Amino acid sequence: MDYWNILEYGAWAISFVLFGWMLLDAFRVNRDFEEEVLTSSREGELELVTEKHDID
Amino acid sequence: MATEAVAGQAPQRISLLRVLGPAHVWALGVGIVLVGEFMGWNFSVGKGGAMGSLIACWIIGLLYTCVAMIDSEVTSTVAAAGGQYAQAKHIIGPLMAFNVGLYLVMAYTMLEAADALVVGDLLAAVAGELGHDSLHTEPFVVLTIAVLAWLNYRGVFATLTVNFVITAAAFLSIVILFVGVQPWKPGEMLQHRELLTDLPYGWIGVIAAFQFGIWYYLGIEGTCQAAEEVRSPARSLPYGTMSGIITLLIAASLTWYIASGLLPWEYLGQAATPLYDAARVTGSTYLQVFLFVGTIFSAIASANGCINDASRSWFSMGRDRYMPLWFGAVHPRYRTPYRAILFLIPIAVSFAFTGLLDQVITFSILSGLLGYTFMPINMWMFRKKWPLDTIRRGYVHPFHPLPAAVLLALCVATYFATFLGYGAQLLAMMAFYIVASLWFAFHRYKYVRRGDQFSMPWPKPRGY
Amino acid sequence: MAKYSPPKQGKAGQVFDSLFLLALVYITLFAPLVLGLTGGGTTTQTVDQPTWEALGQNEVMAKQWEHLGYTPETAAELITTRFDYTINPVALIVTAIVIIGYFVFLIRFSDKEYRQVIAERFGKDK
Repeated sequence: MDYWNILEYGAWAISFVLFGWMLLDAFRVNRDFEEEVLTSSREGELELVTEKHDID
Repeated sequence: MATEAVAGQAPQRISLLRVLGPAHVWALGVGIVLVGEFMGWNFSVGKGGAMGSLIACWIIGLLYTCVAMIDSEVTSTVAAAGGQYAQAKHIIGPLMAFNVGLYLVMAYTMLEAADALVVGDLLAAVAGELGHDSLHTEPFVVLTIAVLAWLNYRGVFATLTVNFVITAAAFLSIVILFVGVQPWKPGEMLQHRELLTDLPYGWIGVIAAFQFGIWYYLGIEGTCQAAEEVRSPARSLPYGTMSGIITLLIAASLTWYIASGLLPWEYLGQAATPLYDAARVTGSTYLQVFLFVGTIFSAIASANGCINDASRSWFSMGRDRYMPLWFGAVHPRYRTPYRAILFLIPIAVSFAFTGLLDQVITFSILSGLLGYTFMPINMWMFRKKWPLDTIRRGYVHPFHPLPAAVLLALCVATYFATFLGYGAQLLAMMAFYIVASLWFAFHRYKYVRRGDQFSMPWPKPRGY
Repeated sequence: MAKYSPPKQGKAGQVFDSLFLLALVYITLFAPLVLGLTGGGTTTQTVDQPTWEALGQNEVMAKQWEHLGYTPETAAELITTRFDYTINPVALIVTAIVIIGYFVFLIRFSDKEYRQVIAERFGKDK
């Protein structure tokens, strides 16, 4: 058991904490917000106001 | 690749958009691609010898010049964050768009897997040199993906600065290595005269090398996904993309010159971390450390951009119901496509675990290649459905249809190159896209709203 | 033209579709990889009693191999493995048909769908 082994276990541990955090957060968001709100974004809202495609 | 995560999803942040200039576009493109100089390109040496690889590098450079010209014109007009996916939807049709979206997801996810794989392999190599044999690479592969996925989930990545700095550092390490091997004294360290051989497979090997020649540049077309944030797309996109390609051509030539002057081609043709190995052979600890850092940085910068781009494409498809709507969700606080990010993690991890770097890369290359085959078709239809005098284009590329024809011809050559040696994998990839297309055409498309897919304020296309 | 209103997909259907895609990735891409069905079509020659000369390496090459930590025995396989570029015409034709057929289907079918999109967006006769 040298320090490389410790690094290996450390890497596993940090990975699991991060994945756990993300899953927990995703779960909480799903619980706290309506699906309608979460999926309310639309494509192309921006260019409607900023782009002009017709030739004048 | 970064700030687009907020585009279109977060109306209150629109004021932050359209701030990028040509330099940013350049950095966006190079950031995701530069890792190609640290690993992967050298498999082209295995397929065609060192000289074959150099020829492939330049010819594929021509392919990408065509890609950049075509993409700049379409993107400066279809300035939507979805990039090529939005283009296909407006110009060719839904099934094509679904496939283009999948190409982007697969190309970037496989590139991400390759990046993580290289981080693991490099650490194992270093551990081996420091006296610890058989380091397990898995925990480091998972850690790389976990940290980057977490950053993307939280949206901290939206500060592009981090990626700029590590990309610049990685680029610098190539330059340092180039100076370090004293190219002005040939025969001292660089041994081109002794190491370069004739083409081991003749000219067919040169064509076979096209396959991995793609790897020198794969992902540069991602610059176009930043279209929505660019201040003046008409000027910035062509400039940024073209200068990005030139940078990569220079970096690729330097890389080739260093590696082929230090390593026998049979070794180079299968190495996982060629530039690091080149530094190792010089015997200088400093160079070795620089290239270790450079390789890790470039892999991380690239994987970071890949997670962002892949999840964003997946998200766009979910939003349009091309994929289950569930994936079209935006995180209410971080404004990121958090479900798409989570969904793609297991795919990246499991492909990275295979350890088969050349094959994982081949999946990424093939998805990219299918996307380049789409571009000339797209260009022809774009000019036909909306001739030059019907809508205002930000940029019009010269010599149409020559670039499109050259691009198509080079794509065909590259399919043939992949067929040589990786034919079974080519068919596996096609099987994937064919089954997915059938699934979309005959099952999935019924959930899609028809007219809503066309969101551009354009006139009706000719001939419809 | 009447506006097409798509059915709403339920939770179960969404989960099923997601799992289908995941399964597709693993069956068509991952399985061939781990089962060793894909990858470099290579052949390897065996050299008895390999030396750098027998492997066709000159002095400089031999020196670089040694810098990398190889001996003629450990490097022999790397050096003698070669791609096999003999072209199987049947396989080549099948591959070509698959790729071309795929694109033709994509463009044809996309166009059919695209006409509906345009008709709904701009109206039939304008």
